[in-house]
Amino acid sequence: MSHDPQEGLRVPHRVVVVGHGMVGARLADELSRRDVDGALDVTVLGAEPYEPYNRVLLSDVVAGRTDVAAIGMPTVDDGRTRVLRGTAAVAVDRDARVVLGDDGARHPYDHLVLATGATARLPAVPGLGTDPTALPAGVHALRTLDDAREVVAATVNAPRAVVVGGGVLGVEVALGLAGRGLPTTLVHGADAPMDRQLGGEAGRVLRAALQAEGVTVRTGVRPDEVLVVGGRAVGVRLAGAVREPGETLGAGLVVLACGTTPETSLARRAGLAVERGVVVGPDLASVTDPQVFAVGDCAQPPEGSRGLVAEGWDQARRLADALVALAARPRAAHRRPDRPREHLRLPGDGAGPSMAVRLGTLLSSRAPGGPASGVDARGTDVVKVKAGPLSVVAMGRCGSGRAPVPGERTLRLADPAAGRYVEAVVADGVLVGATCVGDARVAADLTAAYTRRTPVPADPAFLLLTPVAPAAEPASSPEHMPDDATVCRCNGVTKHDIAACVADGASTQDDVARATRATTGCGSCTEAVCGLVDWLTAARAEGARRPGAALGQEAGAVHSSV
Amino acid sequence: MTAAVPVADAPAPVATHCPYCALQCGMDLTPAADQRAGRASLPVTVTPRQFPTNGGGLCQKGWTSATVLRAPDRLTTPLVRGAGGELVPASWDAALDLVAGRLSALAAEHGPETVAVFGGGGLTNEKAYTLGKFARAVLRTPNIDYNGRFCMSSAAAAGNRAFGLDRGLPFPVTDLAGADAILLLGSNVAETMPPFVQHLAGARSAGGLVVVDPRRSATARLADGGQGIHLQPVPGTDLVVLLALLHVLLAERLVDRAYLDARTSGSDDVARSVAAWWPERAETVCGVPAEELRRVARLLAAASPSRGGRGAYVLTGRGVEQSAQGTATVTAAINVALALGLVGRVGSGYGCLTGQGNGQGGREHGQKCDQLPGYRRIDDPAARAHVAAVWGVDPATLPGPGVPAVALLTSLGTPGGPRALLVHGSNVVVSAPNADRVRERLAALDLLVVCDVVPSETALLADVVLPTTQWAEEEGTMTNLEGRVIRRRRAAGPPGEARSELWILAELARRLGSDVALGTDPAAVFDELARASAGGVADYSGLSHARLDAHEAAGGEGLYWPCPATHADTSCDGGHPGTPRVFLERFATPDGRARMVAVDHAGPSDDVRPDAPVHLVTGRVLQHYQSGAQTHRVPELERLVPEPYVELHPLLGLRVGVGDGALARLTSARGVIEATARWTDAVRPDTVFMPFHWSGAGSVNRLTTDAVDPVSAMPEFKVCAVAVTPAAEPAPTAAPVETQEVPA
Repeated sequence: MSHDPQEGLRVPHRVVVVGHGMVGARLADELSRRDVDGALDVTVLGAEPYEPYNRVLLSDVVAGRTDVAAIGMPTVDDGRTRVLRGTAAVAVDRDARVVLGDDGARHPYDHLVLATGATARLPAVPGLGTDPTALPAGVHALRTLDDAREVVAATVNAPRAVVVGGGVLGVEVALGLAGRGLPTTLVHGADAPMDRQLGGEAGRVLRAALQAEGVTVRTGVRPDEVLVVGGRAVGVRLAGAVREPGETLGAGLVVLACGTTPETSLARRAGLAVERGVVVGPDLASVTDPQVFAVGDCAQPPEGSRGLVAEGWDQARRLADALVALAARPRAAHRRPDRPREHLRLPGDGAGPSMAVRLGTLLSSRAPGGPASGVDARGTDVVKVKAGPLSVVAMGRCGSGRAPVPGERTLRLADPAAGRYVEAVVADGVLVGATCVGDARVAADLTAAYTRRTPVPADPAFLLLTPVAPAAEPASSPEHMPDDATVCRCNGVTKHDIAACVADGASTQDDVARATRATTGCGSCTEAVCGLVDWLTAARAEGARRPGAALGQEAGAVHSSV
Repeated sequence: MTAAVPVADAPAPVATHCPYCALQCGMDLTPAADQRAGRASLPVTVTPRQFPTNGGGLCQKGWTSATVLRAPDRLTTPLVRGAGGELVPASWDAALDLVAGRLSALAAEHGPETVAVFGGGGLTNEKAYTLGKFARAVLRTPNIDYNGRFCMSSAAAAGNRAFGLDRGLPFPVTDLAGADAILLLGSNVAETMPPFVQHLAGARSAGGLVVVDPRRSATARLADGGQGIHLQPVPGTDLVVLLALLHVLLAERLVDRAYLDARTSGSDDVARSVAAWWPERAETVCGVPAEELRRVARLLAAASPSRGGRGAYVLTGRGVEQSAQGTATVTAAINVALALGLVGRVGSGYGCLTGQGNGQGGREHGQKCDQLPGYRRIDDPAARAHVAAVWGVDPATLPGPGVPAVALLTSLGTPGGPRALLVHGSNVVVSAPNADRVRERLAALDLLVVCDVVPSETALLADVVLPTTQWAEEEGTMTNLEGRVIRRRRAAGPPGEARSELWILAELARRLGSDVALGTDPAAVFDELARASAGGVADYSGLSHARLDAHEAAGGEGLYWPCPATHADTSCDGGHPGTPRVFLERFATPDGRARMVAVDHAGPSDDVRPDAPVHLVTGRVLQHYQSGAQTHRVPELERLVPEPYVELHPLLGLRVGVGDGALARLTSARGVIEATARWTDAVRPDTVFMPFHWSGAGSVNRLTTDAVDPVSAMPEFKVCAVAVTPAAEPAPTAAPVETQEVPA
């Protein structure tokens, strides 16, 4: 672009991103990859001192399934993007279009993106207070890397653990702690764990699976108080369906997994519309101020949010497209259409058909939807519990709370004794929701069908089982092998060919090889050919010895067909 | 058998190699005692020969390869399209004068770049080299590329980027035998190079053969019975499998940290890039259960040398490379191999399984649009000066880089695009993607000249067809999938007036008035090639036909490039020993380290959608080779697989109403074809499979997309979206005429 006559006049478009978590960092990365011409001037403010890391894997850190060092996420390193770690945004002046950092610096913007994430929600019980950053010793909300490290450290000394909240995170953490050998109780207010994603029956199967993994599951109960002695947690007193009034679970480690609250204080102070999260339109722009966007856990988009990172990454991708387009618009004529972009395909970049933009942020492929089709979050709402060998997946229409929809068919396979529950919800010939506990293969197939909208079988009941039979072993004994079975793939030699060969007098593998070329390719069939030859020659000898006796049916067939 | 022939009269067998794939199985050709019998009998008899790649085995294609020498419609005379639109026999003088005259006129009117050249990965090194020289030095056109772009380009791009050098297998294939684990991605070797399967025996007996294929192919079945693991991802998501494997290796601290520190660069960026691909997320994209991914990662790690295993290999094939993210996928495979510390260690490694017979050599000697002989870059001034000196031309007269195959084919006959095309050893109307468009572009040319041995579908569209010699009728060299340079030897004379491309190109050069000398003696051409390659990445300068012959006669281990000239006489074995295993000391990058490059998944360019909800994947069958130009002419092979077919799962068949054995119609954004349905549970219910060896109504490349990889320009053959319906009504567009009579 050095030949661009406007180069010297160009003022980069200033984008300030507040938040350097999984979504904020991803947005910065997406912007950097797209903005090859330097049309953007990007500043990222991150309150945490760390490089971005994969928060989703904190439960794996607790479970010991991943090395802490392996959860670091990519950092933008393009020499242009400014990332200010350990710098929180304290205020936004929307009239002046400036963000004020806690270091006193002012960051002017043309567009502001809020990616402030969410904080852990604390149950309103005595002993906890309201500040997630000032919990008693031994009590942790698993939200940050520090939390995960502290939980792991606590497993060494704590005799018992209580996990409060039986959602996805609670289940993952309880399994992780139990897997470390720590007696662990999962306390959940509803009748079964993961009730948001799982219906009652599926939840009961999961409950049994958790018990089998060593987790004590208490449902229908909630913490009444976290007992703290000398600033340190010693247990949790229960309310609800308890065994005795004031029942108490002793625990040196209490992990709170009660959901999250969007972090919206900055937006609220800036006068932006905030309900549960920062209210944004389909374009992710604040309904109050079109210069301000919100993505990830802090945002409240029209289609709703499930707090899954896939949704946030998808939003980051869409917003990066939009911001780059906004910045490029005045100079669109100067863009070089043939510029190669490695691993990045944008609409209009090439002549190829259907160049859907999928920069790896999506959990799935999806049908290309034009702007007219509106926002479509399908494919990003697959919940897959990270629980090692225990497979728990739910997507789309699922969970105990959902209302029936006319036209939907729900098919179920309940096999609680085997720890299996599969449910498929079908409408208009495609899978619109599914629940699967205890069958990893079916879960993977359901997910592929759901995210890609591939049509379901004529009888959708086939969705409930793996449609691929286990590999059929070839008939092991020569007599059970069908006559037209291929014995030597390399040379297309069937059992029939070999039988004909033996009928003509062949009695060794070499004889057969000479006549048919069987065994002369990769040699894998040598054993099978030898077995056949032995059996066929034995059958022939048998027939010769007792000419009156009935030949084996196979041998008879051979003779008659030669 | 000809046992009655007296031994004294029996001609000595000629040791050569199979004409088909890159395994280049050793075979002996015994010339028939009496060749006067003509077409009634074959001029040679094939017997397998002990050679490291095939261990004395041959597949059915190899066994029957002599049949192609006397195909009933073998081209034996030049053909020129006559006034009536028919191809009619012509003399060599008339045909060559015509071609030279038209080329001169077109170049004079439109400039030298108006002539384009399309080569093939089946040509000998000598032919490939001469073709490149002819294009650059005689025609002076930048417009040359070849069908290897459809095979090797993604692996080549990724290999060059990571290692600074692209040799398919940087180790002898027999090394595989000692490994505990082999991860095989996108390759159906049990059908495409059957004798190769013997090299998998060690890993299979250790339970360590991991096959990644959306289809339970013959190769995937080799993992049955505890011999390994078959991962069956959704088409187009192999990259996600690899990203997740690397994630697990890092998460579970299974990587070879010391190796990464000592021998690679970029590992930190790559590690961060895969933090986003934890197995549960990967499962939701690729459809492989998370625990299966973990199991495979652990299996590979246990086999790797840093953890006390006997060795592990990662191998890729076209299934993952022929993708719009093919380079990224191979890069991810390389990253896994590097993370495990496999590459550049004896007994472990990464390799790509080259497809075409000379797919390796064919990509080294100047058929590629951006390359000069010796795997040199055409935009490198030093490389231009060196090659120009060997050719005796001014470096300034050498053209710059051309455009890769799909772009070249797409530009034919367009304003400003080439108006003449010379095709050598390729059948583009069957083997190129979006084949209907290719046919359209060929029709828009002013001149199409095809050199071939049989009237291929492409040859039938030509204005001039020139009959060439083939494998058993010529001398030369091939470079097999291991980078081993081997001799192809003549055992029979060509029929009729068929001539070698070396002669044809030299004659054309002469008639074009060029003063550039083109050799016609293969040994002499090789010597020139060797000089041109000297100092390049693929350095053959220490090799000659004489040395290769002597080495073989002495029972040598084989000579692998790079094999630079030494002061010793290259006609005997005093020269450079060649390089069976590269990268043992250092990589061919400037700093000697392997470069790890972060890549991410983008998904297929033509993905499933409501009006095309089924993935289409393509591949090969054992009995046929590429476009089938050779194998359709072998009755023994044709009898076994006589027509195209589409494999679909019974659940899909039931849903769309296509029964087993019924005629199915497949519709993509580019075309409509029909083929017989075969029900099988070897394909996923969301996927259909078709082999690509046919033209006409069942030609699957009329459906495939010509979207290409941004780095390698490899087209995305291996996945596109189709609708599957019963072929209830007649096909909407009749297949182009395929049955034109050809004069013998």
